[in-house]
Amino acid sequence: MKLTSLETRWAEAALGAIFPGSSDVGLTDIRAMDMRGFLDQVLHAVPTQAAIGLRVAVWIVALAPIFLLGRFATIVGLTQPDRERLVATLVASRSYAVRSLVLILKTIGALLYAGDDAVRARMLVASHAGTMVPLRLGRGRAA
Amino acid sequence: MSFEHDHSHDAFPDEALPEGSVVDGAELARDIDEAFDFVVVGTGAAGAVAAHTLARAGFSVAMLEEGPWVKTREFGDRVYEAFRRMYRDVGTQVLEGHSYIPLIQGRCVGGSTVMNSAIAHRTPEDVLGQWDADFGLGAHVSASTLEPHFDALERELNAHAVADDVLGENNRIFLDEAAKDGLPARKMHRYERNCRGSGRCVTGCPNGAKQGMNVSYVPWALSLGARLFASCRVERVTIEHGKATGVLAHATGDGARSKGRTVRLRARRGVLVAASTIQTPNVLRRSGLRSRALGEHFSCHPGYGVGGVFDNPVTMSFGATQGAESTHLRKSDRIKLETIGMPPELAAVRIPGIGGELMRRMGTFANVAVWAVVVRSEAEGTVRQGWGGRDRVKLSLTTRDVERTRNGTAILARMMFEAGAREVWPGIFGLPAVLTSIDQVRLIEEAPADSRLFSFITTHLFGAARMGPTPEGSVVGPDFQAHEARGLYVVDSSVFPTNLGVNPQHSIMGMSRLAATRIAEAARRTAAA
Repeated sequence: MKLTSLETRWAEAALGAIFPGSSDVGLTDIRAMDMRGFLDQVLHAVPTQAAIGLRVAVWIVALAPIFLLGRFATIVGLTQPDRERLVATLVASRSYAVRSLVLILKTIGALLYAGDDAVRARMLVASHAGTMVPLRLGRGRAA
Repeated sequence: MSFEHDHSHDAFPDEALPEGSVVDGAELARDIDEAFDFVVVGTGAAGAVAAHTLARAGFSVAMLEEGPWVKTREFGDRVYEAFRRMYRDVGTQVLEGHSYIPLIQGRCVGGSTVMNSAIAHRTPEDVLGQWDADFGLGAHVSASTLEPHFDALERELNAHAVADDVLGENNRIFLDEAAKDGLPARKMHRYERNCRGSGRCVTGCPNGAKQGMNVSYVPWALSLGARLFASCRVERVTIEHGKATGVLAHATGDGARSKGRTVRLRARRGVLVAASTIQTPNVLRRSGLRSRALGEHFSCHPGYGVGGVFDNPVTMSFGATQGAESTHLRKSDRIKLETIGMPPELAAVRIPGIGGELMRRMGTFANVAVWAVVVRSEAEGTVRQGWGGRDRVKLSLTTRDVERTRNGTAILARMMFEAGAREVWPGIFGLPAVLTSIDQVRLIEEAPADSRLFSFITTHLFGAARMGPTPEGSVVGPDFQAHEARGLYVVDSSVFPTNLGVNPQHSIMGMSRLAATRIAEAARRTAAA
């Protein structure tokens, strides 16, 4: 099973929203990585059921702007901050099916993103107390 | 003995194997039809030990393994590559039920021992007591019958407590905090020789230090004359006139030469199935067994991880992947508390947030500790064969299972704060993703006991071809032989009547060694008669 070109663009937009990189932290943008090649590899390797799950997840994220934002657009038509907010909303969905399926995208993306040499190298460098994550009490939900 | 292998030279035990001892199904150019005394299905903890025991007793033995033999020198540190090459279904298996729970199994020579943390726990005596009281097994399986086998396994695999120099911060913080809190805890006992603390148990030990079956009983069995057929999926055990006579397998892999090749191994004395709790019942079903107990009473140990961010580096990339534990609450609360070092890829899935928020937290990864609660769940499920011949496992955790998980999570979160964590990531849906004070631990305690709110994962699997005295409620008898077929033995954890509450590898190997020893003795008696 392979994603179509359109589905691949949606998946790339979704993964780009999840792992956008950060110059402050020193983490690369996932869009600099071979997402298309990796997705092809994964879809070829995993069983059909898992491949279908990934595909459904891509469609949910792609079409979510219509249902969540009331905008006649796919995720590709959103700005980066809006994409991030959209995926964060989906991951925090009260629907178990929706948040579980969207987490598949985070999982697949994590395998590519944190498997990258530069990202790993950065992740394994210790932070100091002064550069801890700013606190955002009560806003997030478990992703 | 072969386990007195010289570990000082450069070759790993999975190299320099006896000529012709390994047949790679992926490269098979012809069909195979051969005969042995015993055929053993599976090369994980159960299969490898059984094969070695039978080979040491002087019998000719064939081992069959569905997955490939990935050698020590081929192990990398990337999780996806490990998933693709060595994990069943590329790591995408799930338990289906009220929630979907990822289920991790190895599919390679050595089975799950290639990617587990090699933790040694004898079967708890209260569990064996339950097996006696509820299933009438005491005369056959008991602490005293298992003891010599546990002794031998611990000696041969060099089971011992994690050494201080490879303990690592994740484990040390847990032990220090447990000591402060008066919670009995200890360094884990693991099968390893010269562990260097690479923290890479999950992707295969690159140093050959972890004594998985791929570098111990499999090569040791081969050195005693056994043969291995890797990348060969067992279709069925052949049963003629009520007796197991061999195994029919197909070559796996994408190689054009091997496509469609069959491997027929005839067994003069018996077939031992050790394909794991999920695969064994389906192999038996495909072989024509129709026991009502087949595929029933599946159980497991769901696990749940909690992350904590500390001011000082934790550096999970160094130290024993799992090196500290407390079994103090096993009997009273059915939970075990432990550490688990996570590679960056798996941690990234559980790090809270999306986008910029996720990026900032990923930047703190080196300061993150991960501890876990493992539950001896009460829930029982089923193992069936789904469409396309796929294994299908169903299980829904009970409310009490989730409550226990929640309570264990709260204990770990409190311990993390007391140990100095600035943030704790409980990972429970509906709660703040990040807790910043010990007062917030009550939010965990008040969370609804719904498995859909928790991100479980499970690795320890039991039952589904249960042992018992009568065919009505079990698949195999106390002699490990199937009620429905002579010479067909099941020697893996699918025969366990219940789960354990501790890591199962030692129990699986002990039971398998006990079974194979008895099978060998019976075969000798038959030959003598």
